[in-house]
Amino acid sequence: MNGKTIVITSGKGGVGKSTATANIGAALAMEGNRVAVIDMDIGLRNLDVLLGLENRIVYTIVDAAKGRCKIKQAAIKDKKIDNLFLIPASQSDNKDVLTTEEITNLCEKLRKEFDFILLDCPAGIEKGFQNSVAAADEAVVICTPEVSSVRDADRVIGLLYARSITPKLVVNRIVPEMVERGDMLSHEDVVDILSIDLIGLVPMDEQVVISTNTGVPLVTQKDSKAGEALRRIAYRLNGQPDLPIEVPTVKKSFWKTKINFRFGGKK
Amino acid sequence: MLNGFIDKLIGKNKSKDIAKKRLQFALIYDKLDISEEILGNLQQDIIEVVSRYFIIDKKSLTLDIQRERNFSALVVNTPIIKAVRREVGKKATA
Ligand SMILES: Nc1ncnc2c1ncn2[C@@H]1O[C@H](COP(=O)(O)OP(=O)(O)O)[C@@H](O)[C@H]1O
Ligand SMILES: [Mg+2]
Repeated sequence: MNGKTIVITSGKGGVGKSTATANIGAALAMEGNRVAVIDMDIGLRNLDVLLGLENRIVYTIVDAAKGRCKIKQAAIKDKKIDNLFLIPASQSDNKDVLTTEEITNLCEKLRKEFDFILLDCPAGIEKGFQNSVAAADEAVVICTPEVSSVRDADRVIGLLYARSITPKLVVNRIVPEMVERGDMLSHEDVVDILSIDLIGLVPMDEQVVISTNTGVPLVTQKDSKAGEALRRIAYRLNGQPDLPIEVPTVKKSFWKTKINFRFGGKK
Repeated sequence: MLNGFIDKLIGKNKSKDIAKKRLQFALIYDKLDISEEILGNLQQDIIEVVSRYFIIDKKSLTLDIQRERNFSALVVNTPIIKAVRREVGKKATA
């Protein structure tokens, strides 16, 4: 096996990296791939909660990378989805404990065991980011349609180019009602500014919050807009690069529009 | 800056248009490490130099930086009303 390592990054925090990693990882595994999702946010782990695996952590990425345990021991098998494994971050270590070499070596080994290795990058552009990028073959940059997020995305894209990685873009938390009335950057605006290729457009969706409450990835559900969008990103990464990108639109139903609008306004 | 350089270019628009213009300028400033003030000065200097040769509508001169991944281009656009008459061979002065 010679798996692909993909870093999910953004510069800014809170834009949906972990949500995307958990869901894209789950969707890839549901397609029959062997998938490892790795929480690179050492000291502030998150991905375990999104997958409902927070009570099963014994070993962490730090243990695995430093050879204190076998990779098999650190990779927690998902409860429901076959072939999905989480390597959690450690909560007690300093965020800079791992060297670039330790991470790249670990990912080299993982490549032999998995089809996809998704690295959930910490916010910022310091060591944790540098380590994640050094180990990655490909990158997905996530941003929201807001000035600070797009600006940070631009910075990160520049850093990825400097390492000869051409990233793909996900615009997350799109509120179609706001785009329609001109109060939110459209995905065209964002692409225009960042000039990179899109790999997905994800709407703002209450279901995302509900799924984090329960610890079950959204892509396992049928009727969620964000889940559907994330699933389609997974398909694009998994050999269907030309699958059309659906643009989130305003729902016609009065009630749905109203609910979505209120949700969008809260932030 | 009240009558800032950006403000003039942005005008009154939908909030997302303001966001877009601000972003475009922010990225230019980030990348080239220049300030709004410097761009304003540059615009003044260009007006001054061009005015030695042409009578232009100073208010409609626009200065824009077009940004690609690998390069940035300075684009100056101005309607020319007519050439300034001057003696052949003599350097123009303002
Ligand atoms: N499409 C979406 N719709 C609604 N909420 C979202 C969406 N994407 C992310 N969120 C919420 O935004 C917050 C930040 O997401 P997270 O994935 O933790 O970001 P990051 O890992 O980039 O810090 C979380 O509360 C998450 O539930
Ligand atoms: Mg996160």
